[in-house]
Amino acid sequence: MGSFYSDHRTWLHAVSASLKLILLAVFGTTLYVFNSTWVLLACAALCLLLFVSLGRATLPARKLLFLVLVTGLLITAFHAYLQQPLLGVVSALRLLSASLLGIALMLTTRSNDLLDVLESLLSPLNRFGVKSSALALQVALMLRFTEHFFIQWKRLDDAHRVRTGKPGGFKLLAPLTIRMLTSAQRVADALELRLPP
Amino acid sequence: MSSVISPSDPTPIHLDRVRLQRGTTTVFDDLTLRLNESRIGLIGDNGAGKSSLFRVICGLDKLQSGRVSVWGYDAQSRPAERVGLVGMMFQNPDDQIIFPTVEEELALSLSPNGLPRKANCQQARAVLTARGLGDWAERAIGSLSQGQRQHVCWLALMMASPKSVLLDEPFSSLDLPGRVMLDLEISKASQQVIVSTHLLDHVRGFERVIWLDKGQVRADGDGASVCAAYEADVAARCQSPHFNID
Amino acid sequence: MTSSRSSGLAYVSLFAALVAVFGLIPKIDLPLGVPITLQTLGVMLAGCMLGPKRALQALLLFLAAVAVGLPLLSGGRGGLGVFVAPSSGYLIGFPIGALATGLLMAFLPANTPRRAAISALVASAVGGVLAIHVCGVIGLVTLAKLSWTQAFWGTLVFVPGDLIKCVLCAAVVHSVARGLPDWRFGGRSFQ
Repeated sequence: MGSFYSDHRTWLHAVSASLKLILLAVFGTTLYVFNSTWVLLACAALCLLLFVSLGRATLPARKLLFLVLVTGLLITAFHAYLQQPLLGVVSALRLLSASLLGIALMLTTRSNDLLDVLESLLSPLNRFGVKSSALALQVALMLRFTEHFFIQWKRLDDAHRVRTGKPGGFKLLAPLTIRMLTSAQRVADALELRLPP
Repeated sequence: MSSVISPSDPTPIHLDRVRLQRGTTTVFDDLTLRLNESRIGLIGDNGAGKSSLFRVICGLDKLQSGRVSVWGYDAQSRPAERVGLVGMMFQNPDDQIIFPTVEEELALSLSPNGLPRKANCQQARAVLTARGLGDWAERAIGSLSQGQRQHVCWLALMMASPKSVLLDEPFSSLDLPGRVMLDLEISKASQQVIVSTHLLDHVRGFERVIWLDKGQVRADGDGASVCAAYEADVAARCQSPHFNID
Repeated sequence: MTSSRSSGLAYVSLFAALVAVFGLIPKIDLPLGVPITLQTLGVMLAGCMLGPKRALQALLLFLAAVAVGLPLLSGGRGGLGVFVAPSSGYLIGFPIGALATGLLMAFLPANTPRRAAISALVASAVGGVLAIHVCGVIGLVTLAKLSWTQAFWGTLVFVPGDLIKCVLCAAVVHSVARGLPDWRFGGRSFQ
């Protein structure tokens, strides 16, 4: 969704959002039922196959994928340090499988569809006073702000590069936070006028 | 093209001896205004209080004293009906667009009806198709130009169908075609429209224009004369040796 | 006055997004050979800026999004499985850490930028580091079946990196205090 949604249509795009979520939940849980390295290796291979089958659609998530791989290695190293190397391998395989599926979900699902599923999932909670529409709105806002962060970061980084010739890095965190806070205030004002009390 | 506001309607917008303070600055002091006309322009320097006036009418800022009534309701009390009474378009579309696609954004305007999002999305799609913009429905906001995004904000506003519509400097981020389109939309709107702007030509033809200066009404009358008075004042200030931009 | 509800909707979502963004940034620093997961910085900032109630809501929203399957946990992790992984103690520590940081920030003085920064440093060290690591250790012992000593030494590896994040958090709070003088830390803005 958002900046991760790929317009290159794949077979997974056609699958409904609710089905994808159910499969993700089921498969994700089974990952943690099995402890055998071989089973998890097979699972990871399956997930990789699914991911690769998406072809060009995976382009927006290249950097994220790199992050997954590095984290997997770090987890293995961490558990090796704790003298539990096998647990490290098992954890890394689980991470890889779950992440590949999660990224595939984001690449092939419109946030609108996901929010619709969320709203219907949460609707039983309406009886307990929880407003499912408010929760769905908050998830939508969260995704919107996530996208905006990257856009604002890029803008500040460009401005910084133009003036100093170097990328901004962590120095941009404070100005970015200030910008996002003012943006949130304006979003709050807009919401105030558009939602009934 | 202005529509007549029925005499049996309560006063659309009435500010009564309003006092607004922000921090240590007094924005308005004892301001009284009746805004009945169907097309009103609001002009003045930056910092004159144009945006603050709009915020007060919407009930976004708390008054120190005085009352603001909008179509018979007290604006400060945040009535449940407010969405149907007054709506505002902020200067920057990016500040107010919530959802990533056009149909979802328009569906939000319908959410007070309590229906699920899907139903509202379908209605939004129908409205877009009726205007010949059916292919906009699933488009990402990010793929639209600034002017198109402003148009989405306008559509969202129209779908909420408030009786009064406040536009805060809507023309500033638009190119020429965008401005022409917005002028056209404003002329077609059946509700009361109040526009605050620096681009005087867009309000020169309005039946009423108010010139706000440091929180007070400096001039109030027909569009042509008030705009001309403001322009003359600015020209005189610029020629003065002590001119500085506040 | 923009209602507390609209402000809540906007700011809670904003900080949930901030924590998510920190998980999505493909940048892992390795001083002393130790991996830094930026997300705990998001937890600290949420606590300092929003105060206990809203920071807790923000982290719960974040966890809900992760539970649904979105790969927002640093390293692209997501789904229900992360809640039973050995490191899930740290995950449960996120909302608790945000709450603790927020509570401290609400009580500590923050009326000048300097005071706010020092309070943020203390609040994030206790809430962001101590609280999260305690939860993490409990998780390691119960789920990874480590001994308390093993878990202790395991978690200690991350502490230097987390303390650097506390300093970063204090620096951001200091800048925000100067750039937005009307902002009241620890949730005082929302009262």
